[in-house]
Amino acid sequence: MNAGHATISIRGIEKSFGEITALRGVDLDVGRGEVVCVIGPSGCGKSTLLRVINWLQPPDAGRVYIDGEQVGETVDANGKVRSRPEREINAVRARVGMLFQDFNVWSNMSALENVVRPQVVVLQRTRVEAEAIALTLLERVGLADQVNQWPDSLSGGQLQRVAIARALAMDPIVMLLDEPTSSLDPELVGEVLAVLQELATGGMTMIVVTHELGFAKNVANRIIFMDEGRIVEDGPPEQILRAPKTERLKQFLDMLVHV
Amino acid sequence: MKFDFSYTVDAFPRLLEGAMITVQVAFLSFVLSLILGTVLTVLRSFKIKPINIVIAIYISFIRGTPVLIQIFLAYYVLPVVGIDLSAFAAGILAVTLNSAAFMTEILRGGLASVPKSQLEAAHSLGLRTWIIWLKIVLPQAFIASIPPLVNEFTLVVKTTPLLAMITVVELMRVSQQIFSSNYHPVEILIGAFSIYFVICFVISRASVVIEQRFSMRRA
Amino acid sequence: MGLDYTIFIDYGPKILEGFRLTLIIVICAIFLGLPMGVLLAIGRMSSKLYFRGPSVVVLEVIRNTPFMIQIFLLYYVLPFYGVRLPAMLVGILALALFSSVYYAEIIRAGIAAVPRGQSESARAIGMSHSQSLRNVVFPQMWSIVLPPIANQTLSSVKESSILATITVSEMTMSALAVQGITFRPFEVFIMITLLYWLLNESIAFGVRHLEKYLQTRRGHRATTERTAVEVESSLEAARRMTR
Repeated sequence: MNAGHATISIRGIEKSFGEITALRGVDLDVGRGEVVCVIGPSGCGKSTLLRVINWLQPPDAGRVYIDGEQVGETVDANGKVRSRPEREINAVRARVGMLFQDFNVWSNMSALENVVRPQVVVLQRTRVEAEAIALTLLERVGLADQVNQWPDSLSGGQLQRVAIARALAMDPIVMLLDEPTSSLDPELVGEVLAVLQELATGGMTMIVVTHELGFAKNVANRIIFMDEGRIVEDGPPEQILRAPKTERLKQFLDMLVHV
Repeated sequence: MKFDFSYTVDAFPRLLEGAMITVQVAFLSFVLSLILGTVLTVLRSFKIKPINIVIAIYISFIRGTPVLIQIFLAYYVLPVVGIDLSAFAAGILAVTLNSAAFMTEILRGGLASVPKSQLEAAHSLGLRTWIIWLKIVLPQAFIASIPPLVNEFTLVVKTTPLLAMITVVELMRVSQQIFSSNYHPVEILIGAFSIYFVICFVISRASVVIEQRFSMRRA
Repeated sequence: MGLDYTIFIDYGPKILEGFRLTLIIVICAIFLGLPMGVLLAIGRMSSKLYFRGPSVVVLEVIRNTPFMIQIFLLYYVLPFYGVRLPAMLVGILALALFSSVYYAEIIRAGIAAVPRGQSESARAIGMSHSQSLRNVVFPQMWSIVLPPIANQTLSSVKESSILATITVSEMTMSALAVQGITFRPFEVFIMITLLYWLLNESIAFGVRHLEKYLQTRRGHRATTERTAVEVESSLEAARRMTR
């Protein structure tokens, strides 16, 4: 698998949490280097979808394939579905980069250590190697002067960029971004989007759940509109944003404009 | 197996007699401590400085010293200042005073959870202060405190074996009497151990049920 | 009836020797009990029944029986299995076991207080459950649980007096011994009462300062306001289980 060039395929994903159904049969294909933005009202299952792809939340039904390889489960010779061992699932997660709305930078270590530790612990790289890679990446996201700072003295935008460097240090083949800028003050959104745009033009396969329609318009190859656990519309940005086909999407876009 | 549990079985009748004393002591102390704790909580709410200081010292003393020492003080030191109590009475006194200190803290928490609006409504209806306390505030404070109160009762039960040290013939002392004559301490102690376990376990499970029943009545 | 001051002078050293032993016992019990508490907490949370079962059994049994009878049982049972320990070591073992149950509760609350996103991102990056505990959750948990654990030592100091029942020569036992010689319970018990109270207040004082120090340390601010309230309530529940 080449870094950043994997495909993602999802078939028939269903997921419920007790009474609440988050995903009702979702199919999706994302091609190599494609950037897909997911929009939709809150609670429509967008975050759950991302967490199903890297098996943080195994679905109740359906299959996930990353670069043709099934994630989380295998189908044996008799057609029976078996869970894959934790070891293999962890190995897949190591190659799937994930960003969170709350950044989730580890508060018990410095920015540099945040980027070094997973390389050493998960990828078994030597500390020397890991530090070199970490320093390069932190510089690339514009944090060269902050490498030894601790999370409690960094701004939201800086924290998210640490998270990006941390994800990139793992040589991801795919990236899943869950509202990466929703918790940021408006002035800080731009610096993060700039880095994400750079990743996209570099050929990274990305699924981005976001409210930033400007980003979606400029960077996405496709936009997907989800509502109540289903994909309602799927198409290029001009079509989705300027010529919505369904009533639900029209209402949603109207609501965004008026806020 | 090295242990002969027929000794346990044979000792059971006497152990259960001791357990009865244990439960009586625990129950009596608990009820007295509940009364004392309630009185202190109500007193504290009046915010009279000297009284609150005395209560604070009392609580600090109880919480800062071992229960065993408090029991010894009641049994060995009180006679020196003229108060001669039987072992049973000294034990009850010590355990009651000990539990009451924690009781006051528990009830303070329960009291704080009673919404101020209740007091205001009662006042505006013209009800007298002591009626408000008795009929409205205290019942709600108690119900809110049920889990920690039941927990406190199990703590009282677990304190009773210390009274064996001042010759009160409860379950622990009975066990000691038995095994000092038949030289099978493990078998006897396991019998007593199981009885204590059953008592405390049943009480703490019952607390869940009690809590549910009371909250349904309120609703 | 007057106060016999000579008691303090003649027998003071013996009492202080008991005080010293009390300190040793409590410190040993903490260092033994903490790892046991961690094991019990992890076992309690495990998804595998053969870890969770024994942990739950130990927790319920220790929590629902008096400390005094646990000491006695341990004292009398060990020789049957070939273990002949001096009373003080049996006492330390018993105190460690007893305290470990409360440590386990505190640690469980502490783990729950670490924001979920921290362990979620650790799993998302490919760490196993134990790697996420070791690298992310536990380090954050320690600064949260340190004050309640320090508070727990107050209970340990008071419980240590019960070791006198198996004649361990800590402070309470030495008081009983002196009282048996001098027949002056008043002076003797007043003396150790004050010593226990003093020890208690010193530890409580230390804990308050520990809490203040931890607030200012870096990394601690990561716990948001909301989480801080949740931590407090779950730790309060753990604290209420002890005297």
